[in-house]
Amino acid sequence: MALIRIEHVDKSFPSRHGSIAIMQDISFDVKDADFLAIVGPSGCGKSTLLRLIQGLDRPTAGSISFRDKRVDHVCAQMAMVFQSFALYPWLTVAQNVAFGLEALGWAPDRIAAQVDRYVGVTGLDGFQEAYPRELSGGMRQRVGLARALAVEPAVLLMDEPFSALDALTAESLREEILQLWGDPALPPEAVVLVTHNIEEAIQLADRVVVMSRRPSHLLAEVPITLPRPRDRKSPAFYELTDRVYSLITEGGTPVPSAGDSRPAV
Amino acid sequence: MLGLLVLLQNHHDSEDVALLADDLDLEIDEILPSLEFAEILQLVKVSDGRVTFTDLGKRLMAATIRSRKSLLREQLRKTTLFKTLVRALESAPAHELSDHELAQIVSLTTSPSEEVVQNIVNWGRYADLFRYDADERRLIAVKGTSAPKAGTGRSPPPSPPSSGPGPSPPKRSGATAPSDPPGAQVAHALA
Repeated sequence: MALIRIEHVDKSFPSRHGSIAIMQDISFDVKDADFLAIVGPSGCGKSTLLRLIQGLDRPTAGSISFRDKRVDHVCAQMAMVFQSFALYPWLTVAQNVAFGLEALGWAPDRIAAQVDRYVGVTGLDGFQEAYPRELSGGMRQRVGLARALAVEPAVLLMDEPFSALDALTAESLREEILQLWGDPALPPEAVVLVTHNIEEAIQLADRVVVMSRRPSHLLAEVPITLPRPRDRKSPAFYELTDRVYSLITEGGTPVPSAGDSRPAV
Repeated sequence: MLGLLVLLQNHHDSEDVALLADDLDLEIDEILPSLEFAEILQLVKVSDGRVTFTDLGKRLMAATIRSRKSLLREQLRKTTLFKTLVRALESAPAHELSDHELAQIVSLTTSPSEEVVQNIVNWGRYADLFRYDADERRLIAVKGTSAPKAGTGRSPPPSPPSSGPGPSPPKRSGATAPSDPPGAQVAHALA
């Protein structure tokens, strides 16, 4: 059974010159225990799609369902990790992690235990009382991750989570995400990662969904069956990178239309 | 530093340093501080421009995020700098050190620039060797583990950290090239 089912989703936004189509007829599934990556050129609506999946925004047409139930409000079984970390600077690490749980109305002692658990799981022990400003980028994103995991989501949504980090930090966080995802005792069951980095998508995911330029449609779903950890310099890896890259550059030729004269944002 | 180890793992545990840097489109000097720090912690060996995991390094990578922390703590304890800091905390009144005292201890091994000190504090916190109060800007001994919290006077010296499997003594101080201050090492390393 599909965990998340995205069916014939269109999304457009109103503008002065009529509506601007962002995506058209997007359909794919996120399966149990899936690690799915969504790639596509800038402005193709990858982040918008992630917001639609969580129910932060509604599709113009089509439907999105989670465990066979239509997503029509913010889905509590999904949690998001942001590129910009999105931490509250006036709250400590522990308070940031607790934030979502307080919103869910958990009892204080239960929150404390949960915060302890996920602070530990993400390697943040010792920083409970630290403020975000005291932390490096990598540690800040670990807080973002701990906060997302603390609500024990079935699905972890990640919007360019490694883009604001230096190369080595990103490398270690990617490995940690795989470790968490691979641990059956820990959430999440499935991960949906949005990235513009094709190598990153192929390094991490079971499947890569490739989107075209706006108005975007689905170009391909590429299964990645290479064993992990994956060697970026291997011929098989290179071949996959090349294939996805070709899909994006060739399939992404924009359709000229009156409503789409602006450069992609 | 952990990022570098992940990278090495992706290269089947042993690789030419230049090729390793090239994988992330980095220059060699961008990974050297992390590499050197990993070497000091006895996680990798470098010879003839080739970096290889030690058994300890392999064990670290096979461990969970949580167990990595205790393994790194033991390795950090062996470095002159952290050994000195932990001892100072244990002998200090109230088991606390002010920012100023911290900088003085750091200056015994390296230049106590703000960045260096911040990174040392972060590593120590990460490895649970001490706590830090950002409002009061003071280092605090971790209770219950190695610091006997009896009275405020000088406590008896703790049992020294086990000498560990490594045959060579820790070579934290003075072992770094001028272009790679330990601050940079620690900065990358915490990543």
